[in-house]
Amino acid sequence: MPVLNSVYRHREAGHLLTDLDAYREAGGFRALSSAVADMEPDDLLYVFHRSGLRGRGGAGFPMGRKASFLPKDSRLAKYVVCNADESEPGTFKDREIMEMNPFQLIEGITLAGYAIGAERGYIYIRGEYEHQARILDEAIRQARAAGYIGRGILRSQVDFDVTLYRGAGAYICGEETGLLESLEGKRGQPRLKPPFPAVAGLYSSPTLINNVETLSALPPIVERGADWYAALGPEKSPGTKIFSVSGHVQRPGNYEVILGETTLRELIELAGGVREGRRVKAVWVGGSSVPVLGEQHLDTPLDYESLNAVGTFLGSGGCIVMDDSGCIVRSTLRLATFYRHESCGKCSPCREGTTWMEKILQRIVDGEGRIEDIELLESLFGRISGKVLCALADGAVAPIKSALHMFRDDFVRAAEQGAPRPDPMLPATAAS
Amino acid sequence: MNAEQLRAYLEPIRGEYAEARSLILPALKYAQTEKGHLTREDLDAVAGATGFSRAYVESVASFYDRLYLRPVGTRVVSVCVTLSCMLRGADEVWEHLCDREGLDPHHGGTSEDGRVTIQEAQCLGYCDRAPCVQVDAEETSGPLTPEDAARLVDELREAPAPEHYWR
Repeated sequence: MPVLNSVYRHREAGHLLTDLDAYREAGGFRALSSAVADMEPDDLLYVFHRSGLRGRGGAGFPMGRKASFLPKDSRLAKYVVCNADESEPGTFKDREIMEMNPFQLIEGITLAGYAIGAERGYIYIRGEYEHQARILDEAIRQARAAGYIGRGILRSQVDFDVTLYRGAGAYICGEETGLLESLEGKRGQPRLKPPFPAVAGLYSSPTLINNVETLSALPPIVERGADWYAALGPEKSPGTKIFSVSGHVQRPGNYEVILGETTLRELIELAGGVREGRRVKAVWVGGSSVPVLGEQHLDTPLDYESLNAVGTFLGSGGCIVMDDSGCIVRSTLRLATFYRHESCGKCSPCREGTTWMEKILQRIVDGEGRIEDIELLESLFGRISGKVLCALADGAVAPIKSALHMFRDDFVRAAEQGAPRPDPMLPATAAS
Repeated sequence: MNAEQLRAYLEPIRGEYAEARSLILPALKYAQTEKGHLTREDLDAVAGATGFSRAYVESVASFYDRLYLRPVGTRVVSVCVTLSCMLRGADEVWEHLCDREGLDPHHGGTSEDGRVTIQEAQCLGYCDRAPCVQVDAEETSGPLTPEDAARLVDELREAPAPEHYWR
């Protein structure tokens, strides 16, 4: 099974790269040095574009294309913003990169900044990642002291500096315009689009927003060439992706695989598989905001197109596995509660709809449901999806709608007699 | 915290933002490090140091889960209860902690002695260590059995209060 650890340098090195010298020894900052010395910004943009790298935060939009949307003739300041608000349930890949390899992110955001002509980049990190924020603070300080960021980076004419911005606990700040609002000192409520951030983003200026994993992929792409990256995996989904695997698996963790060359079943096997005698029942492969898959989908290759073909999304790569000891109705309720809690309250269909979805699922679980509740729940989906400003509501509907479709019998049984709480899979080890 | 202290904190980072409004969130977080929650005086100080109204500053603060506008315990223990942690026993951890502290398992809350607040958290991004528990925003541990989590709370109770509250 093709497993590759060549994009994220700490995986290749097999150890922490939180010290600048260690990162340099692992090949760090070679890409930035050659870029500022020998490449024009447009050359760099062209490399991003040709690599085929797609956004790893969830939407999968081609990174090079997004960067090319920024107006070239604007007299406004431009910005790069790194979305490090990783909050999608089941996703912990950005945490690993920031914890183990913060300089690769710093090098990546600096390459992006040089390519679009920005002089400042912001890394917006979720408030709950204070530990990772301190590692980044120190890495930014070291990188600045060594001249990799700041004024005249690496004795060139290029100025670019990085600011770390701490959030304070809000899932919606991972939505790009919610993030921008928060970074501007407002409540983190998403904006109406258009205008898109490329045209009017931070402080109404042209802004490129990319995820930690996306920006961190840029240094090896620049160093080894766009062709190298584009040749990994299928044409439309090239490269490697870090999947965070959790739930009912025996070795939960992050696994980096070449897209298109690994199946969902193989990924779950990498994570130790489910327990002896258990079968996979449900998988939320791209974080919790995607339609759920069942056992029949396990041989699907992991890439954007193949997952779309079975009705779901690669999303953030937060792969949550539930075996047949779990209860799909309770798991679905738990996700409904998440979205109800995280709805920012700006759009009524989402604010009220997520509340109602949770309420109906709760009474089904509690044995107080009626069979009509299932239809009532279904009647809500179309009144929420597509009637709101951002993707949170679609993310709330997707796992519920798909679960009802795929595991209807479970919901009918629960509506008739409630859904008893199953035993969890207990941790095998003590605290670490 | 007073506006003077906040101004001193903000001074070195002011130049990093095109608009002063961006200083509000860093100021709120810093103001909170003193008492572990934000008082009326803290909000006034943030307003004074950033040049925005108290009402505006409060409307921003009230949006975020990790800014506390009411007193909480000396340590805030967040139990992740989202799906990955639930599948690995988060509810059992949560109920055990609430039970030991005499708290309603629907809401959690602050223990009678004021030493710990037990609250539910949405996905903390430590699903590989499920079920996990975070103390303020600083230390995250897992996987934990209910007994492990209880021991952690006992240790917090014995430990001195932190000098600064990053939560």
